[in-house]
Amino acid sequence: MAAAKPGAMQNANALKRQQSREQWSLLSLALPALLVIVLVILIPVGWLFYLSFLGGEGQFSLEHYQKMLKYKSYARTFITTFQVSILTTGICILIGYPLAYFLAQLPNRIAGFFMLTVLLPFWTSLLVRTYAWLVLLQRKGILNDFAIQIGLWDSPIKLVHNMTGTLIGMAHIMLPFLVLPLYNAMKKIDRDLMQAASNLGATPSRAFWQIYFPLSMPGMVAGSLIVFVLCLGFYVTPAVLGGGRVIMVATQITAILENQFDWGAASALGVVLLIATVLVLVVASRVFKLDAALFGKGS
Amino acid sequence: MSLNTRFTRSKLAHAIIGAGVGILVAGTAVADPVTVVSWGGSYGAAQDAALFTDASKNSGIEIIRESGASMSKTCLQVESNSVTWDLVVTGSGGAANAAAKGCLEKIDYGVVDVSDFYPNLYTDYCVGSDVFATVMAWNTEKYGEPGSDGAPQSWADFFDVEKFPGTRAYRANNVDGALEPALMADGVPAEEVYQVLSTREGMERAINKIRELKPHIAVFWGSGAQQAQLMKDAEVDMTTGWNGRFDNAKKDGATVGYTLKQALLDYDCFAMPKGAPNKDVAMKFLAEVSKAEYQANLPFHITYGPTNKKAYEITTAPKELIESLPSHPSNVPMMLPVQLAWYAEHREEALELYMELMSE
Amino acid sequence: MSSDNALPIHIGGLTKKYGDLYALDSVDLDIKSGEFLTLLGPSGSGKTTLLMAIAGFNRPDSGSIRFDNQEMILTPPHRREVGMVFQSYALFPHMSVAENIAFPLKLRKVSAAETNQRVEEALHTVQLDGLGSRNIDQLSGGQRQRVALARAFVFRPRILLMDEPLSALDKKLRERMQIELKQLHRQLGVTTVYVTHDQREALTMSDRIAVINHGRLAQVDTPTSIYNRPANAFVADFIGESTMLPLEHRPDHQLTFGDQFVATVPDDNPDSQWLLVIRPERLLVADDSQGNTAAAITFGGIVKEAVFQGDSAFVLIAIDNADDIAVRFSTGSASAMANLQAGDAIAVGLLKDDIIIIPREAG
Repeated sequence: MAAAKPGAMQNANALKRQQSREQWSLLSLALPALLVIVLVILIPVGWLFYLSFLGGEGQFSLEHYQKMLKYKSYARTFITTFQVSILTTGICILIGYPLAYFLAQLPNRIAGFFMLTVLLPFWTSLLVRTYAWLVLLQRKGILNDFAIQIGLWDSPIKLVHNMTGTLIGMAHIMLPFLVLPLYNAMKKIDRDLMQAASNLGATPSRAFWQIYFPLSMPGMVAGSLIVFVLCLGFYVTPAVLGGGRVIMVATQITAILENQFDWGAASALGVVLLIATVLVLVVASRVFKLDAALFGKGS
Repeated sequence: MSLNTRFTRSKLAHAIIGAGVGILVAGTAVADPVTVVSWGGSYGAAQDAALFTDASKNSGIEIIRESGASMSKTCLQVESNSVTWDLVVTGSGGAANAAAKGCLEKIDYGVVDVSDFYPNLYTDYCVGSDVFATVMAWNTEKYGEPGSDGAPQSWADFFDVEKFPGTRAYRANNVDGALEPALMADGVPAEEVYQVLSTREGMERAINKIRELKPHIAVFWGSGAQQAQLMKDAEVDMTTGWNGRFDNAKKDGATVGYTLKQALLDYDCFAMPKGAPNKDVAMKFLAEVSKAEYQANLPFHITYGPTNKKAYEITTAPKELIESLPSHPSNVPMMLPVQLAWYAEHREEALELYMELMSE
Repeated sequence: MSSDNALPIHIGGLTKKYGDLYALDSVDLDIKSGEFLTLLGPSGSGKTTLLMAIAGFNRPDSGSIRFDNQEMILTPPHRREVGMVFQSYALFPHMSVAENIAFPLKLRKVSAAETNQRVEEALHTVQLDGLGSRNIDQLSGGQRQRVALARAFVFRPRILLMDEPLSALDKKLRERMQIELKQLHRQLGVTTVYVTHDQREALTMSDRIAVINHGRLAQVDTPTSIYNRPANAFVADFIGESTMLPLEHRPDHQLTFGDQFVATVPDDNPDSQWLLVIRPERLLVADDSQGNTAAAITFGGIVKEAVFQGDSAFVLIAIDNADDIAVRFSTGSASAMANLQAGDAIAVGLLKDDIIIIPREAG
């Protein structure tokens, strides 16, 4: 570059100021959201951490965490929680993937109708849905009665008040959370890609596994993570359909609060669950390149 | 602007209603309604029918009825300085626990008259509302009517799945009334139960007894409403639970019966959160509902006994009904009164052990 | 062209209806081994439907598609062994450039070493040496086009289909790619069916052009024949610029324009109404200073509009009793027409060989 001509820097400072003003005013648009995050997330979570380290006399103490190591029920509850969450996610994938695939092949208007039926659970009260399953699945419930009447089985099968019932109820509630992002990802897959694969010599199943399936992965990973994380904190469904045999972390937190009014102990459980959840997300983000899954592939 | 208007208007409405009530009922101060919180299902409905509606009418104290009473929520309100409840129904143990945490107001016995109460059924922090029993109940189609030949007699029968094959239900995630039956079933005499339970070995002995039964426990129940539902739907064959719930389930057509033999005698009570917004009026309302004339009506709606002795004298309920109440003198001797002192000392540890069993 | 590299395609009576609409109406077409044939037509004409039928992506209602006498109509696309370049390129976004190109080779269980070698060769052929490890989203439009091309021929199909492969590129790149595709075709010798709606592209690249309209073939011929001897008004209008003037049909089978004899109706042709097709660049100045009188037919009129367009000048001439005639002159400095202005009187003419007559179709 040649030396600046006289006047080459004319208005440069004013223009720079204008730019920075615009950037600040843009940032201010995010201010309400930031404020909400601080108020609704950071402060309560911080308070949770604080409480969990508070002993009976208000002093700093690790007693709540030590208690978790002392009694086996805590470890078991965490194992159950992860077990239920993983199984529910797995069931949702097994049911939801073919369903989303089916919907993605339909013309938009028909797919919209079917999607309504998938979304219906969203608009029904959680409690109502859960008790509906109870009525359906219990010992003298509609399903057992019907099956015995038509001779499918002789005596009532235990479908509820156990893991089976919990998983049925949870999967029903969680399914839309998987299907929606999955359907979205599938809709974005260019139909030409499948034709191209076929043209290049791929059988339909190879085309599916090598092209369609990997391209639907972002939606599946996003959906699975949403389902998994929601399951971790679930309370109502396992409490009602588990019949006291499926004890998840949320159940135990409630038991501690109801019986001992012990915020510290309950907070400590919450903190451990939160940390476990964050760990899962971090690992998942490493393994599945989560940013790509959640925000699309940036270029 | 509009918010403001609405706020003013509602205050105005309260003022007008309050003034109206004040004119009608001499001597009653103008005040906000008292928030009274009880439980769902047939229990709250019975209290409405026998106690709250009439007491409110007669005293001129307006009340707001809510459901979902819980001492932990009460404590949460107190600790976060956002108390909206005035009177809360609770089990005796829960009240003791909450009082120990400093969540409750002291009852003003200058206002509430307990001179006719049974002596064990009120404390500094709560006034007994009814006496109930934790019993074993069963499907009468399966095991026969109570008292008939071959019907279950004792906790030992409850825990004996060879003599009484079938499914059971037991308390979930809460140790209240859960360990005593197991010890009695294991051969501990009723009067020694709390003594045995005062050691870790004793608690583990009870837990182990329940552990033996666990494969046959089809459901762990979480509420009184659920006890009734389980028997109505014949989801289980035998369960523990609160006697009044089963009588009401029977009224609804359930084939259920129970025995008061070896049952745990306990009482529910009214407590007031510390800093209740309408403390003075609420205290007056508490005095009103504690009167014998209301308690005398309670047995018509749920088979829980009065805490006010005088209620037995003035009640118009038939003799048969009266004699079936847990607090009736003829029943008390065969039952085990719940010992609050044991709960105060051992509840936390007992719960941890019970949760271990639950989570297995 | 050896038949090792290429297969002929025979299409007979191919029909495809969408509702009441014929996308293909009994199409018969023979494509020779190694030929570069372009399907040219406006949008909705059926050209893409025909291409997709050859690829196997849509199921015709009836008819036959044979590759070298072997009936393919029931063969699923993955067993047809035809390469195809999609309009959208259809590159797999989760694979690198090299993985995309290797995809058909892997399906055919080609050894890793040979796959690598052939991918390198293909990249070299499309001038993308060294870009194999790139992601698709790191490529420009032109580069994607080349990858799509490489992937389509790397498994050595004997038929190559291209569906408007250049339509997404800008004009300059498109023109360069046209030449490159042509060269590539010569190099590979593969039978190529190319779909476009761009008549200039079709003329540039094709051995033959099949003009298609409303699901029917309007004309199948070499670019020069299509341009110089359009078979009907649709082809004349769709390919190149033209002015069409109605002719008078005399009882003695002579066609005249005004008093001037234009042509004799071909023997036994039943059509009664005929049009004269005038290509703008074929018109000569009829009586310029050189005394050019070779024109077989002349049109006198007034210049309505004269526009300078760089390599040529475009002039619109108003004549009596007929539509305006468009004329295109070269703009060499010697051109007598360099300074034409609106309102000037002018006479233009056609040589005998440049006279094109076509029957006017009903409707």
